[in-house]
Amino acid sequence: MYKYLLCWRYLKTRYIALASVISVMLGVATMIVVNSVMAGFAHTMRDRLHGILADVVVESYDLDGFWDWRDVQSIIQKECGDLVEATAPTMETFGLLKMYLPDGQAVTRQVMVIGIRPEDRAKTGDFSEFIQDDAGKPIKPGFEVPKNWQTNSPAGHLLKDTPKDDPLHDILKQQAGEQVPDRGAIVGYALATIHRPGSSTDDFIAPPGSRIGLAFPKSGRKPEAAYDDYTVVGYFKSGMSEYDSMHVYVPLERLQYMRMLGDGLGAGAVNQIQIQVKPGVNINEIAGRLQRVLDSRRPMYFRVATWEQKQGPLLEAVKIEQFILNVLLFLIIAVAGFGILAIFSMIVVEKTRDIGVLKALGASTSGVRGIFLSYGLALSIVGCGAGMIEGLLIVHYLNDIENVINSLTGTRVFNPDIYYFSEIPTLVEPWTVAGIVLGAIAIAVTASVWPAQRASKLHPVQALRFE
Amino acid sequence: MILPFIPKGHHAMNAHLHAVGLKKAYRKGRSLEVPVLHGVDFSIEKGEMVAIVGASGSGKSTLLHLLGLLDGPDEGHIYLNGERIDQQPDKKRDHLRNTAFGFVFQSYHLMPELTALENVLMPQLIRLSPWQWFSQKKQLKRDAAEWLERVGLGHRGKHKPSELSGGEMQRTAIARALAGNPQIILADEPTGNLDAESGESVMKLLRDLNRERGMTMIVVTHDLNVARQADRIVRLNQGLVESFTPVLAA
Ligand SMILES: Nc1ncnc2c1ncn2[C@@H]1O[C@H](COP(=O)(O)OP(=O)(O)O)[C@@H](O)[C@H]1O
Ligand SMILES: [Mg+2]
Repeated sequence: MYKYLLCWRYLKTRYIALASVISVMLGVATMIVVNSVMAGFAHTMRDRLHGILADVVVESYDLDGFWDWRDVQSIIQKECGDLVEATAPTMETFGLLKMYLPDGQAVTRQVMVIGIRPEDRAKTGDFSEFIQDDAGKPIKPGFEVPKNWQTNSPAGHLLKDTPKDDPLHDILKQQAGEQVPDRGAIVGYALATIHRPGSSTDDFIAPPGSRIGLAFPKSGRKPEAAYDDYTVVGYFKSGMSEYDSMHVYVPLERLQYMRMLGDGLGAGAVNQIQIQVKPGVNINEIAGRLQRVLDSRRPMYFRVATWEQKQGPLLEAVKIEQFILNVLLFLIIAVAGFGILAIFSMIVVEKTRDIGVLKALGASTSGVRGIFLSYGLALSIVGCGAGMIEGLLIVHYLNDIENVINSLTGTRVFNPDIYYFSEIPTLVEPWTVAGIVLGAIAIAVTASVWPAQRASKLHPVQALRFE
Repeated sequence: MILPFIPKGHHAMNAHLHAVGLKKAYRKGRSLEVPVLHGVDFSIEKGEMVAIVGASGSGKSTLLHLLGLLDGPDEGHIYLNGERIDQQPDKKRDHLRNTAFGFVFQSYHLMPELTALENVLMPQLIRLSPWQWFSQKKQLKRDAAEWLERVGLGHRGKHKPSELSGGEMQRTAIARALAGNPQIILADEPTGNLDAESGESVMKLLRDLNRERGMTMIVVTHDLNVARQADRIVRLNQGLVESFTPVLAA
């Protein structure tokens, strides 16, 4: 019983020891904050990545794709139709984008041109949630160019007043079609806009209804570019700048036709089939199965990958970063452990005579050890508990804290332009928190083992004679 | 049971605590050896009060520590009620220290974090598991308070040692030694740090306890006035028990 009484009294009277666990407390708090923020980022990022990419993608190694995609679709349907929700044929290729400014200048950007059938693509992933108009209102994915845009164009205005039999009529009609092509395109939000620091609204380089030019590789023996123009009808804003600054969506049939890989009416090649599986289905297993079946149909031609595999390097990088940070932070707690060891050793020296008395009164070696071990345990529980509470509070009020720092320093600690996150995402994983707290307690207790052992091994007579 | 070797002239058969041929040397490193006891025989009867005297450094404390199992002798045997105790396993020796002996030290050695009452409770706190403690707490606290009352500190139970005078601290320490219901009190210069008056009252207390309760008592001292109050005086000289001096008439 005396163990607990003394341990309790030491706890109440020795504030220096509490100071020694402050470093542990700070370490635990930091680890919880860092892990929550990183998990929040990773989680939000995964969410968005998964939203943009379909669960599983079948693609050909050849950019020019395969014509028999309907057969491939039926193979998918036959092999695992009951697990698949929807499929979408897609043509993806790199390209150049030209946007024309009112002052006659043009902006050229390197892009990813993606030919889709909007109604199919909308069924795979969260694609449709990311399509919006210039005001940020969500719109239905589609490439229809409103009729009045063409009639409202300069040539369209003239055309209105020109009778049908006028020789100019046909020329104006052609011009109106050139000024506002009747093929729509959905452009990545970050491609179409410029964000000026300090301004709350973004300036559009490619406002709705404006014409953009696209160049992309044509199929054929020689590498050659095809050129086509489109009217901007919507924007793609996923929150992942990598995609929002690269993707341009156009009608699949038109892209096939322009690349000379289709008749523009439905028959043509695609180089990807996006697959959306039913909830709870193991995507890795499906990918493996499809890879085997497709390999037997045409060896070395198809690549089946899950969205995680396609984003492997990025997700892996986040994981490694988190791991390294955790190792470093745990080392900090280990350093704090040595602080505990030092202070505990001092307390044992200070308590030498008391230890001698305890032994004279009949306390056993293990009992004396127990005093200091339970003291260490109690201290580390206090320290780690306080650290946990502090960490969770910081995570909870992280964005408020950020605002305070922002207003104090006048800078933005967390720049939402980079991530499109309106605030810092956090995710508290209970198991991670438990692991951190238990790990820190283990370190702190381990640090008290040696001083406790030394205390218990003190010779009673020498301890009593100690001055 | 193996009968101990009994030196002639000792009332060993009814000896309470009994030691034969105790040798002890302190070692410093490999070469330096400080021999302290060269073969000390010692015996005390139940209810007897013996004073151990000797010059400073003659080994009085060392002998007391050996008798109280705080240290082990290099050679020799120690018997409690005829049972050999010096070679018992650690656990048993811890238990004997807790139950059979009550220590009183020159510099009191109270726990500074605990109140006087808690200090008095220490032997019981060490003896009992938390469960036992909580089931007997009330009674034990009452007993401890009674002991404090007995040593004249009934009103100081809630005070920390730092708030007590030397004499009060020593009397608390005596109450602590008694609260464990020991068979033998071992006191190492209990008046050594006290002024004459407090020393007198502490000695009177020990003497009274010895008379009232028939408590066996070994008191180390180098003050002959203190030694005089004992039934018997043992003198340590050059590592040997030199003489058994009868009590000088006061
Ligand atoms: N740990 C030790 N190492 C070496 N010598 C010691 C040690 N403890 C005591 N001594 C020596 O043993 C002798 C006896 O000490 P002690 O029993 O304390 O004497 P007393 O109590 O009679 O003054 C002294 O000379 C002392 O210096
Ligand atoms: Mg001494």
